Amino acid sequence: MLVLHDVHKTFLMGETQVHALRGVSLELPAGQFSVIMGQSGSGKSTLMHVAGSLDVPTSGRVEYGGLDLTTLTSRERAEFRSSDVGFVFQKYNLVGNLTAIENVALPLLLRNATTKQANAQAQEALETVGLKDRMAHRPSKLSGGEQQRVAIARALVNDPTMILADEPTGNLDTVTGERILELLRQLTTNEKMVLVVTHNPEIADIADLVIYLRDGKVESQQFQEVTR
Amino acid sequence: MTFNLFRLALKNIRSRRTRSWLTILGVLVGVTAVVALLSIGTGVQEAVLQQFEDIGYDIILIAPTNVAGAARGAIGGFMPGSSMPAGGQFGGRIAARTATQATSSEDTTGGTFSPENLGTSATTDTSGAAAEPFNPEEMRAAFARAAAPSLDTSLLLTQVPQLIEAGTLGTQIQPIETETTSGFLRVSTPSLDFLEAFPSVLGGFQIARGSFFTNTTENQVIVGARSAELLQMAIGDSISIDSIPFTVVGILESGDRDASEEEDVEDGALSGQGLAQNLGTGNSADLVLSGLTNTDDSLFVLSERASEVLVGRAMSAVTITRVQPGASISDTKDAINVAIGIQGSSGTPISIQEVADEIQGTLSLIETVLASIAAVALIVGGVGLMNTMYTAVLERTREIGILKSVGARDGQVMTLFLVDSGLMGFIGGILGLILGSTLSLLGSRLLGPSLGVGSFTPIIDGWLVSGVLVFSFVLGALSGVWPAWRASRLNPVDALAAE
Repeated sequence: MLVLHDVHKTFLMGETQVHALRGVSLELPAGQFSVIMGQSGSGKSTLMHVAGSLDVPTSGRVEYGGLDLTTLTSRERAEFRSSDVGFVFQKYNLVGNLTAIENVALPLLLRNATTKQANAQAQEALETVGLKDRMAHRPSKLSGGEQQRVAIARALVNDPTMILADEPTGNLDTVTGERILELLRQLTTNEKMVLVVTHNPEIADIADLVIYLRDGKVESQQFQEVTR
Repeated sequence: MTFNLFRLALKNIRSRRTRSWLTILGVLVGVTAVVALLSIGTGVQEAVLQQFEDIGYDIILIAPTNVAGAARGAIGGFMPGSSMPAGGQFGGRIAARTATQATSSEDTTGGTFSPENLGTSATTDTSGAAAEPFNPEEMRAAFARAAAPSLDTSLLLTQVPQLIEAGTLGTQIQPIETETTSGFLRVSTPSLDFLEAFPSVLGGFQIARGSFFTNTTENQVIVGARSAELLQMAIGDSISIDSIPFTVVGILESGDRDASEEEDVEDGALSGQGLAQNLGTGNSADLVLSGLTNTDDSLFVLSERASEVLVGRAMSAVTITRVQPGASISDTKDAINVAIGIQGSSGTPISIQEVADEIQGTLSLIETVLASIAAVALIVGGVGLMNTMYTAVLERTREIGILKSVGARDGQVMTLFLVDSGLMGFIGGILGLILGSTLSLLGSRLLGPSLGVGSFTPIIDGWLVSGVLVFSFVLGALSGVWPAWRASRLNPVDALAAE
């Protein structure tokens, strides 16, 4: 379970302080497909970064599986991301000079896996997202949907318990976007939680938990029954 | 993990091919310069040392005091073979000034002779400009003024028991005349003792045609190979030295010569100026100094005969002695000084070791200066590498964010960039080593003769190879430290937001 206790995050933009999160408290159960919605600037992405330990809150506490993420050192946060978190971004964020399989194998290589092990696991992850035939292609040779599938495969390859997706369909056409969401939905298991940040209201229809943010605060959260 | 980072770094280099190669080129140029200069410098030093070893460190030279400096420089001329080694070239020029000063300061007759004056008169101008009018009488007088009382070598051997052999070798520049031409040539005047004890100093003094001197009562001359070629001399021909007729009894084996010298032989005009240009090594000091023993370009007359027929023309007559094994060089020098005083002569004993040390010091200084200049080129390459890495950090900011989002630690990001820059430095080092070695091999052939060393082998040993490779990798890595540190400190969220 991911728990946020009164999380604040303040940025300094020039001389202006921007309060991205203003006391967010949440409990996101494991094994659920959760969606955070809200308008641009509502603090959705910041919340995802803090949840995934990509950023640290200005104040408040973030716990995951009983571990207080706010007390971790930079190195420990990196290790946490490496072992427990998989990120999917709107702009895919693939390394341009690496092939699809190399991009997917990257997290494993950073964890001291051998090339053989990393490639085997990366191939398996790419098969999961239906890209077995595009493994040797570089991102520039892949469509937007394919690149996002590679990004999802990369997020999966370490077998994390938390997958965080920031506007994963933002750059995709409707049909492709639906396929990506379906894929993310399928990834949700008892051990794996998926948190999607979006401003697309259609995604809310397939979520177990929908959280609305406004001006850095939780406006509402609702659990719903979804047929899988 | 390091291996994986290494592979990632290699991929980065490949993916930015043009820029990577330009960066590597910067390092390559610096390494090439360092390798070429160090290997050539070491090679020259080794060659010079080898030549000193060939002569032997048991030799003590005794030069007249007023030309002691010149004798020190003239050691180049005592090297085996006909080519004047670097020692003669560098040391000779330095010492020639000393000789000039000494000659001027001790010249009680108020003459104005100096090697420089001689050079002008002897038309050694290599620029090809017309020679100034030459006055043989003035030159002869100058030689006479520069001459010093010669040592009696037989007496010296009895006075200094540590000495086992002694001989004298003089040199003169004389007007010569054959049936077909006239001009100026160096005339070397070794004593019989000298030729018997120190033939190696004259490249073995091997007779190619004709015979050795048969007596000391006739005017016999042995001609160096190149001089024989220039003068078209054959055994039995007559040649006039300073208007005194001599008969050619022998022609020496040729020493090493390079192609450029061969061309000079073909192109050189057989005139006083042409001969001097062919025989000289660039300036008057060299002409005098290397002329002591340059077998190819000299005529040889026994000093025993020359002292009778070429009276008053001796110059720079150097006595060479060999110390018996085990005897102290320093003590022997002291004994020689005493003997010189007793004989009423003048002279300064100089050991080969002293000369070698002096030349080695000069060569080391030159090598250090050249290597420093090359090091500047290498540092410039390093700065170029740093610039590339800094730009790469800016360009790859998003990539750094990606790496961090998938679990890369700060240290891993830093290592990745360090390996990246270190690898470029290393590749530059390998290529620079190859190119530098190639250039030094070519350079040794091209530069050797112009440096006066003849051919020599540049030294590219394990220390140079490993040193260059390690240094280039470290230079590359160090150049990447600051950019890599910046990369590692980037906030992942900010890095991901970069365009």
